[in-house]
Amino acid sequence: MKNRVRSLRTANGMSQGDLGSSLGVSRQTINSIENERYLPSLPLAFAIARHFDAPIEEIFTMDEEETQ
Amino acid sequence: MTTLTRPGRRAASAVVLVIGGGALAAATWASGDHGLAVGLVGFYLATAGAAYWWAGGRGDVAAIMRAGGDERQRGMDRDATALTGLAMSVAAIAGAVIEVARTGSPGDFGVMCAVGGTAYVVSISVIRLRR
Repeated sequence: MKNRVRSLRTANGMSQGDLGSSLGVSRQTINSIENERYLPSLPLAFAIARHFDAPIEEIFTMDEEETQ
Repeated sequence: MTTLTRPGRRAASAVVLVIGGGALAAATWASGDHGLAVGLVGFYLATAGAAYWWAGGRGDVAAIMRAGGDERQRGMDRDATALTGLAMSVAAIAGAVIEVARTGSPGDFGVMCAVGGTAYVVSISVIRLRR
């Protein structure tokens, strides 16, 4: 699973800590999501999408092999 | 389920250490080894103090020590707990096998195996009702 969290966050001029505070999760969790080590739960993924005012599928995309 | 960070309690791990260490020290005192009992009290108080200090931090481990954290940190705690249970189960089974070979009876290891197996079956039965 790929995501655009890092690019959206930096485009908004936010630090990982800022985004974590806004979403109610830790800075480390934002870092793990951005580095694609951690796949967020559906509620957290929706919260991220809502935060950036973007459809969830524009932020999180499946790898080709994952969709097969 | 909540994604949000649960604050937890900073003293959570320290309290567990004080209670567990206190029980161990009391048992040691009751066995007659008063010197070791006093030493255990000192050791566990120092460890509890260190745990309290560590739990005030901002890292993953500190959050888990507070029995709090966000969904990822709680997942880490859950996975670590499962791995710990697996390691203890393997140790109990190995101990039971060795004890049977040595004495013909699994002894206390048999009790540990029975508790572990029962806890697993009961856990599955309860958890499946919630998911």
